[in-house]
This record gives sequence, C-alpha cells and structure tokens, in this order.
Amino acid sequence: MSFFARSFSRRKADLDEEIQAHLQMDIQERQDRGQSAKQARAAAMREFGNVPLIEDVTRGTWGSLWLERIGHDLRYVFRQLTRSPIFAITVTATLALGLGATAAMFTVVDRVLLRPLPYRDAHQLVEIKESGKRGTVSFGTPFLDLQQWRQRSHSLKEIAFYSWNKHVSFLDGKTGSTQVNAPQVSANLFALLGVHPAMGRNFESQSDGSALSGEAHTLILSDPVWRTIYGADPNVLNKAVKLNGESYIVIGVMPRGFAFPLNGAAPLVWLPTIIGDNDTVRTRNITPNYQVIARLNPNVTLRTAESELRAIQPDVAKEYADPYDRDLVTSIQLQRYEDSLVETDLRKALLALFGASAVLWLIACVNSTSLMLARATAKQREIAVRGALGASRWRIVQQFAAEGLLVSAIASALGLGLATLMIKFFEHGLTSQFHIHEKLTANTSVIGMLVALTVVSALLCSIWPAIVAAKAPIESGLRQGGPQSSSGAAQYRTRASLVVIQIAMSLVLLVGCGLLLRTIYALRHVTLGFRTDHIIIANMTIPAYKFAGQNMTTELYQPLVDRVNHMPGVQAAVLMNAVPLENTFKLQFTFGVAGTSAADVRRRDLVAQFRAVGPEMQRVFAFRMLKGRFFNEGDTASTQAVAVVNRAFVKAYFDGDEPPEKILGENLFSFSNDKRAVVIGVLDDERQVSIAKQSQPEIEVAIPQITPGTGFYKGAEGMAMDLAVRTDRSPSSIVPEMREMLRHASPELSDSTFTTMDQVVEDSYGSQQLAARLLIVFGGSALLVCITGIYGLLAYLVAHRTKELGLRIALGARRGDVMWLVLRQAGWMLLSGSTLGLVLAYVTSLLLRTFLYNITAHDPWTMAAVTLLLVGGGLAVSCVPARRAATVDPMEALRTE
Amino acid sequence: MIGRNRYKNRIELLQGTLDMLILQTLQWGPHHGYGIVQALRGNSGDVLQIETGSLYPALHRLERQSWVRSEWKQTESNQRAKYYRITAAGKKQLASDLSRWQQMVDIIGAVMHRTPEGEEA
Repeated sequence: MSFFARSFSRRKADLDEEIQAHLQMDIQERQDRGQSAKQARAAAMREFGNVPLIEDVTRGTWGSLWLERIGHDLRYVFRQLTRSPIFAITVTATLALGLGATAAMFTVVDRVLLRPLPYRDAHQLVEIKESGKRGTVSFGTPFLDLQQWRQRSHSLKEIAFYSWNKHVSFLDGKTGSTQVNAPQVSANLFALLGVHPAMGRNFESQSDGSALSGEAHTLILSDPVWRTIYGADPNVLNKAVKLNGESYIVIGVMPRGFAFPLNGAAPLVWLPTIIGDNDTVRTRNITPNYQVIARLNPNVTLRTAESELRAIQPDVAKEYADPYDRDLVTSIQLQRYEDSLVETDLRKALLALFGASAVLWLIACVNSTSLMLARATAKQREIAVRGALGASRWRIVQQFAAEGLLVSAIASALGLGLATLMIKFFEHGLTSQFHIHEKLTANTSVIGMLVALTVVSALLCSIWPAIVAAKAPIESGLRQGGPQSSSGAAQYRTRASLVVIQIAMSLVLLVGCGLLLRTIYALRHVTLGFRTDHIIIANMTIPAYKFAGQNMTTELYQPLVDRVNHMPGVQAAVLMNAVPLENTFKLQFTFGVAGTSAADVRRRDLVAQFRAVGPEMQRVFAFRMLKGRFFNEGDTASTQAVAVVNRAFVKAYFDGDEPPEKILGENLFSFSNDKRAVVIGVLDDERQVSIAKQSQPEIEVAIPQITPGTGFYKGAEGMAMDLAVRTDRSPSSIVPEMREMLRHASPELSDSTFTTMDQVVEDSYGSQQLAARLLIVFGGSALLVCITGIYGLLAYLVAHRTKELGLRIALGARRGDVMWLVLRQAGWMLLSGSTLGLVLAYVTSLLLRTFLYNITAHDPWTMAAVTLLLVGGGLAVSCVPARRAATVDPMEALRTE
Repeated sequence: MIGRNRYKNRIELLQGTLDMLILQTLQWGPHHGYGIVQALRGNSGDVLQIETGSLYPALHRLERQSWVRSEWKQTESNQRAKYYRITAAGKKQLASDLSRWQQMVDIIGAVMHRTPEGEEA
C-alpha cells in the first residue's frame, strides 16, 4: 500500500509541475508580448481552465485512480470505526468467531479430505477388493486371483500388490533398534505409483510384478528413516542392515515426502514380495493374501473397469475348490485409492462438523449485516449530504464495501488466531479421530480459503446496506432531522427477519449440540460389564524375533507378570492381547470345518474375537462369569487345553436362546494336532469392542497354555500384548517403575505406551466427545451472537420510539403495557425463528446420525429443551430494553427535539 | 459531476483526431504540452485552439499506450518542462490513423460532392 501511495503521490506532483510549467510558459510569452504580469497570469489561467479538474481527469487515464480511492475510503472508514468502537468491536468479534471456527475446521478438512497424494496422476489409482456373500473381503486377495485380472483386464494399465506387515518391525541403527513399519510390496509398486527412488534402485521386477527371488534380502528406505536412523548417510546404499535380527542390503532410498501405504504412522521401510509355493494354491490360512492397487488406463472410468473385472470374476471364483470360500469372492469392489484412505463415516462426520462451523459463520454474517444496516440508517443524513455534493451512488456503495472489507479483514486476522487456539485446544481429539499423524497448522490453502471467506463476508454484510443507503432519496434524507419513521419501520422489519434467521440457524446448531450431549450421557451410563477404575495399561509391541527358538510364554511373559504382581501397591496384573475397547490389535477366529449342513454353514459365518489372556484377568477387570469357571493357576501347558467363550458366542453358535451351559465341554478348535480345547466357562456379556456396540462373540485362551507348538502361537504371543495392572497408586508414581520392569524384560519394551483403562473408555467414544465439544463451542457462540442480535434490535427499537413510548405513558399507558409491547416483539421473533429452526434441524440433525447413540436424530425432548433454552435466553435479554422502555420518563422523552 | 462530464464529452468527440494531431506534431521533434498547443495553433493559422482539458489526458493516455515517451528537460528560457517524444509504435499508429482519416475524408468528400445521378457522363 505504501509503495503504491508513494509512487502515486510522486506522479501527482509530476503532473502538477507539468501543468505549472505550461502556465509559466504561457505567462512568459504573454509578458513578452507586453502584457502586465497580473494580466498575463489571469489570461493564462482563464485559457487553461480548471486546473484541479484537468488534473483529476488526467489522473483518471492512469488507471490507478481506484487504488487511490480505496486508500482514501479505508482511511476514512477506519476513522469512522474508531469513533464508534462498540459497533466496530461487536462486528469484528462476531465475524472473527465465524471465520475462526470455519478456518479451524477447514484445516482439518484440508488435511483429511483434500490432501494431494504424493503419487503421479493419483486419480487413476484404484484399490481392488473381492466381495461376496459376507461383504467386501478386507484381508486381501490371493496372488492367483490378481494374476487373472492382470492377464484378462484391458482397462487396467498395471496391477501391483502389497501386504501390511501386521507386527511392528525393529530396525537396528547406530543408536539401538527403532520400531518401523515394513510392508512387503510387489516390485512394480513404486513404478505404478510413478515414483522412483531418489537414490539407488528399485526392486527388480518379474513380468508378474513380483520381485526376483534374488532380491529377498534387500530393502528400500524411506526418506525419514534414512535421515533419522542413518543420519542421511550418502553411502548407505549396498550396506547391510539388521531388520528383526535378519540381515538386509539397502538398495534404495525413496524421495522426501513419499509414503506408502498412507494410513500408517510408523516410519517406513519396504521389503520385496517374493512369490512362493503357497502362492500357487488358494487355501485358506495358507495362501498369502495381498492388498491390490492398480492404475487405470487413460480415459477408462472407475465404473468401466469395475464392470470389466466383475465380468471376469466368476471365472476366478470357479477356481476355488471350497464352495463356501467360492461364495465369498463372487464379485469385485473398486474404489479410488484416495477415497479408500478415509472411511465414509469419518468423511460424513467431518463434513457435518465443517458444516456446523459454516453455519456459525453464516450467523455471524447475518448478524453483521443487521448491524451494518442499522449503521447505514444512522448515517443516512451524512450520505444524503455527500450525494448532494456530487458523490455517485456507486461511490457510496464502494465506501460501504470498503467498510465491510476493513472490518472483515481485521476479523479474519483475529479469526486466524482463534482458529490456531481452537486447533490447539482440540488437537488430541482431532488428530486421533481423523487419523492425522502430522502437526495440524494452517497452511497456504487454509489461508487462501480464509481470504476468500473474508471477501465473501465483506460482500455479504456490506452490499445490502450499501444498496439500501445508496437508493435512499437524497431530498428527504436532507430534509428530515433524523431517520424517517417510515424507512425506520421498513428497516426494523428487515432487521427483525435477519434476527429470525439467526435464531433459526442457532437452533440448528443447538439441537446438534443437545443430541450429542444426550449421546455422551447415554454412553457414560452404559453398563460395560467390567470395572475400569484403577487400571493402568502398558501397550507393548513385542520384539518376537529376539525370542526365536524360545518359548515366549516361559521366557518373557510369565516372569514379567510375576514380577509386576509383586510390585508394591499392585493388587493384580494380567497380560492379554488387547484390553477391552482398545482396537489397536485384533485377532479373529473363524471355523475351518467343511460341511454343508445349515449349522455348519452358520458356524463358518461366525467371526469371533480371539484373545489370549492371563488367568488373573478376572481379578483385574472383575467381570462376571455366567456359567462354569474362568482360567486359574491350574491351567498350564501340561494340563487339558481349555477355552472360555462369552454369551454372544453361545448365541451365535447355537443360533437361538439355548441355555449357555450347553456349550460347556464342546471342542471348538485345537491348540495343536493332539490337543483339542474344551470350553470350561461362559462369560457374561460385556462391551469389549466399543461402548456403543453390543457384545461380540469372543473366545479366550489362557496364555500359560500356549507353547511354540501351538497353532496360533505367533499371532497370539508374537505381535501385541497389553499389561493391565490394578493398583491404588497413581499412574505418575507407578508408570516409571513399570517401564523399568519392562526394560528389564526386554529393552525394546521400554518404548511401550501407558494409559489408564478410564482413558481407554474415554477414547472409545472420542468421536462423540469431540463432536459434542466442538458443537458446544459452535452452538454456544451462535447462542451468544443471536442473543446479542435480539438485544441490539430491541435496544434500537426502544431508542427509536422513545418519543412515542413517552407519549403513551403520558397518555396513561401502564408501565406493564409498555414492557409487554417490547417483549411481544421479542416473542414474535423467537417464536418464528424457533419454528423455522426446528424445521431446519429436523433435516440437518440427520447428518449427525453417525455420532448418535441410543437416541434418534429427531428426539423430541432434546428439541424441546433446546428450544426452551433459546427462547428463555432470548426473553431474558429482552427484559433489559423492555424495562428501559417502561421506565421512560414522559417529560424527558417529549422534550427531546 | 456535471463539469467533469463536459470535459469527458469533448475528449470523446475529438479523441481520434486529437491523438492524430498530437502524434503528427511530435513527428517534427519532441515538444512539451504548451509547445504542442502553440505548434497546432500556428500550423492551423490560429484556427485550431486545443483545449488543455483534452490535451493532458490525451498525452497521458498516449504515454500509457507507449505511443509517446516523456522526459523532463530545460527549455531555451531555462524553464523545466516535460517533453514528449513519439515512439516507433506511435509512428505506426500515426500512419494507420492517417490512412483511416484519409479514407474517411475521401468517403465523406465523395458523398458531399456527389452530383445528381445521370447528369455526369
């Protein structure tokens, strides 16, 4: 601005000098011809004409006049605003609230939904999944199936595949071992993504996309791993490194910013997928399954590719020998890779919250419009004077726009600060609910959106008042002393309808807020079926490779749990794969029996949670046994293998309300060939998956009975284990001791994360908690803005009609009647606003459905309570201007003017 | 408002010709605004009186279009003045203005001097 201003004033001085030179020369010549200095000057001036006007017209050709005008306007507006600070503060604060909330939510939307993928032409990348009788198969596809797609499909340019490495890996560096995520990828994956190693080479690919068998012990580093673990060593290529105790040769480093898959948190390294003998068959639990990602040919749509693959799939399904397995893979689901990264529910939830912030912004805009309108009327006389002096209507509109722009620019600067505060305040909830692994900060696209919103807010709240002001006839504006009564009434009606709109929109937000508070209340009062207090949990990732060839049960787990049990202040300690409600690790159990009877098919459909737990579990969580007994110290590797199931399992197993004891003694599965497990007990139902979900079928086995010879040894003991401790000691005092104990058991375990069971419960309804808190902020702000709006309008009404009110009182109207006159206005606005709001809320609260628990989106009690709150609040603030109206002194009121 | 419109209308009316006249005057050498007025008056035998209210906006417009360039110099009488010089683009523009003007004069002339049909052989 200052640069423009300076260059502009220099040009102005230049022009002035040019014209003065012209005049001087003219005067000189006239004097040379014999005229007196005075005569010459007068003649020259007369001939030249109106100097300022000519300068003005000339400057008009420069094309930057508008800039000068805006500068003027802004300066003028700023002076005016400082003269009415209450107006300025109210409008900026309101707009800052709306802009800040929207900017904060947009930061999340931008990160989660609009993030550009670090791959070439990412919109052509699709994820292919088989689907069938039991829905979409999420665990992956055998190599044979995807080979058929590769051979027969014409719409796919290339197919690549990878497998999540389910357990965390440990990579040895200079300073000890670090947890990394090491997915195995097909050799053609990086080429398919269109990204090449920044250093070194890619895996050598065969024609089927898999890596040559000679590549088996090679790996590629991600940029963060290369930097943090190997100090950005340029000679890292061809070096041998240790991953999970095995030696690998580094063959490449991927460029900065590259990651795959995108929804994993740990630092990445990649291993090649080598196709082995198990890949030549389709046998459940033996054949490896892969996640499949493909690139579409140019100009092929997702739908075309999907229908082509669906046409191929029946032939693929035919190859399955087992008819049950065949039914699971009869069709194909295709999804864009970018869409697969965010679950539909999450996307909807995020958009609903973003929508809520946008509503708050709209309310702020409407409120500002109403205030600007009032100001335009107050300035009617001034505007009329300016119009009479020759200001065009366009010029007056410009000035209002400048006012709007200035106010919303200040508001957006404040809003950015507010947004930063809000993000900081909600950081834990936002990052954990929306799976954001980086730091959340406003980036350029957020700033860009904020600038756009600022301009739109400025237009929204200034254009209408501007047009109203510019259209007002000049003569009457000049003639009247103040605002006219007729235009005042029209303006009051306009502002009243703006207040009604604000009330309606606020009600929408408040209903959402009410529904979520009810949900939180309901969730807090769910009977979980176990105790959650005084439990501390260590979440461990197990360095299984260190215990290869040993029995982890006796070498690691038993000694650890014994030591922790003897810590002072510990009542009981137990090891289990994952504590209830924690979904970081999940083992699933399905029946492998082949059979065609209805019961057999139903049992194969049964998917149960599978947990390896210690016998102390009941002492830690205090759940209830329905029938039989829980594991005890007598259940060891040398005694009869036993299992415990829950009531939901019994129900699914027998398909009906059979008595639970009927399952006792059943042989469901075996530990190894000669060791079948017998069911010895039935647990009562408990919410083990999620607070909002009924109990799911579950099978538990005892850790002391598991040996390396057990079929599920690796899954049950080699990946994840939680240590849960019941203690009266505070977490801060016991956690360091527990960490020391874990370090003693194995150094890697000291990296374990600690939490409390109460926190796990809290986190399990984190999304509702987050939504509720955000909506409390949005709804509360909306309520505040809207109540200020009602107050402002009624105060205006009373001030505007002081004379009339005074007259009424002088003529004998009772004070109560006058108060009622004002309150009636408030009542009318609140009533129509609430009615409109309830209609809107009826539609919009459906958007919140994914958050709600145990309450319908149209819960009448919530709607009624929230409406009552809003109406009550509105009436309460209306009492202030109403009382002022009632206490008008008739003498005073009539004397004014 | 009204005053400004008066000038604007003048410029509108004269625009094409005024630009051409200015460029033509600058053909003979760089001039300042006053010099242009004087030159045009002299060359037209005191008939053509250029309004300064049109001249300066026209000069600044021509400069914006890069048809003339300006610099500050001293006159013979030691007065600092802004001199305008025609550019190559300005010369091209002048040529095209001139040919259009000539065309217009010819057409208007033809219309005005046309004798009634059939009488001329």
